Amino acid sequence: MNPVNISLLVFMIGLYGVMSKNNLIKKIMGLTIMNGSIVLFFISIGYRKGGLAPILEKGTTGGIPTTIFVDPLPQALMLTAIVIGISVTALALALIVKIYSKYKTLDIQQLSKER
Amino acid sequence: MSIHIPILIIILPLLAAFLVLLTRKYKIVLAAVSIITSIVFTLTLSSRVLSNDKITYHLGGWRGPLGVSLVIDGLGFFFSLIALGLGLLVIIYSIPEKRYSRTYYFLLLVSLSSMIGVIYTADIFNMYVFYELLSLAVYLLIAYPKTGVTLRASFSYLIMGGVGLSFFLLGVGFLYAMTGTLDIFHIAERLPAAFNSSMQMVIMSFVLIATGMGIKIAVFPLHGWLPDAHSMAPSPVSALLSGVTVKIGIYCLIRVVYTAFSAEMFFLINSHNILMVLGVVSLLFGASMALAQKDLKRLLAYSTINQLGVVLIGLGIGTEMGLTGALFHVLNHAIMKSTLFFCAGIMITETGTREVKGLSGFGRQQPAITFAFIVASLGMIGIPPVNGFASKWLICLAAVEAGYTILVVIILVASAISAAYYFRVIQVLFSNPPEQNHIPAHEEGQVIHKGNLFRVLPIYILAAGCLLLGIVPALGISLAKPAVSLLLSYVVP
Repeated sequence: MNPVNISLLVFMIGLYGVMSKNNLIKKIMGLTIMNGSIVLFFISIGYRKGGLAPILEKGTTGGIPTTIFVDPLPQALMLTAIVIGISVTALALALIVKIYSKYKTLDIQQLSKER
Repeated sequence: MSIHIPILIIILPLLAAFLVLLTRKYKIVLAAVSIITSIVFTLTLSSRVLSNDKITYHLGGWRGPLGVSLVIDGLGFFFSLIALGLGLLVIIYSIPEKRYSRTYYFLLLVSLSSMIGVIYTADIFNMYVFYELLSLAVYLLIAYPKTGVTLRASFSYLIMGGVGLSFFLLGVGFLYAMTGTLDIFHIAERLPAAFNSSMQMVIMSFVLIATGMGIKIAVFPLHGWLPDAHSMAPSPVSALLSGVTVKIGIYCLIRVVYTAFSAEMFFLINSHNILMVLGVVSLLFGASMALAQKDLKRLLAYSTINQLGVVLIGLGIGTEMGLTGALFHVLNHAIMKSTLFFCAGIMITETGTREVKGLSGFGRQQPAITFAFIVASLGMIGIPPVNGFASKWLICLAAVEAGYTILVVIILVASAISAAYYFRVIQVLFSNPPEQNHIPAHEEGQVIHKGNLFRVLPIYILAAGCLLLGIVPALGISLAKPAVSLLLSYVVP
């Protein structure tokens, strides 16, 4: 089973969590799991078996790598994606705090009954 | 200087956003000036863009496929004008409201500048980053009044929006895995080769991106967040959400479908049929749900789902006329729906209720606002002298030409239903006011002088725009023409 398939499986688990859980915090956990699976997905795209860190040393000719390198771009992208994921989570948790102080519940079924 | 205009259009509102946080007195001036400067900068590019030229700006001098570049073409120009123009009017409309502090203008400016970022960027991951920034600002704007309903609406939008953008990012990942680049124009070049070797991955990425954007556009089965978010937000924010933010989703869909996935693929995997079916379903669903609403802003929110269905049908038809109609309808809907939400904001504060029933007698008190409301709702229905008719007519013509006569029937039925719900509101506006029994409103605690110029000015401008585009539709069509010819140049290889 390759990492791409595993990451898709984890993505589905996260999606299940977001859709089926009633607790607001569990929904956010699902969203975080989805985010983590995407990170795994991108990293596994860039992975090369036996690849080294993509650092060109002095003396390599014309920037053409002589050994196998790991693709650095997905890793750079994922740093951004992780930061974005954290800010979304932080905002969601802040909203949850406000919602809890207003309604004294985190259950989405009970919240939808409130007016 | 003139080379750097594309990045300045994005950076100026963002810079102003952080400066707004420092000042208390000049926040509105600063916000308005930065947006006006961006509009002026955009307009200086108009002559080059309208003659089918493409302006490319490489950030930091790094060229594609590695670097991030900004591209302004007909499509981007069209959408950025809508976003900036309406953004300015939203700022003007918010001036009399004393409740809106510095953070409100900060969030407004961040959302506007990230919208422009989504529109101009040619890097698909950068598009995701800007879109997430836009979404964060919008979640906070919805929750701005900090009442229970707004917090809940904002949270449900956050969950749905987060899932949607995760889908989008996963789709981007598939595209990167196949082509090894994130530049949208390079993806377009390399994708046909990838399509021959791994067709399933191309379809997978298309499905993921279309689902993600479908959540943002609120097509029928994914619309759950829209009615709450659009109706509970403060009125200027509702206008921004319905008028512009949803259109950004449409822009991304058009960009990815027509540019990254070239046209052969578009027809090969039958995605035009998918768009058309989704359009029809959300058209009928939005219309019939709006019919059942008692809350004025909720009615307008469902009407948004209805009108976006029309746009999707136009995109699905995919001929020159269909695309022109769809883009023209995007412009028209932005103008009409923000007029309606601006009017609804005044109606709600004046009558103190959100119910349609409670509006009785308003038409006699404020005939000018009511006239603007009627003009815009006639446009929504699609009655000749107003702009909504012209774009619906183009889409219907395109449907007949492409041989989908059934679509015309469906659009007409939906128009009849929307006539039913808008005429219900108009009828209430002119009926006699009942005995005094005020129901407390959700948006309370504002003292706004009757006929405040800043309140009514945006409404008059937009209503005049409705009539102007209705009488001279060639104006809007000529604006949409470069975008359409651009899209079709990808279609015909």
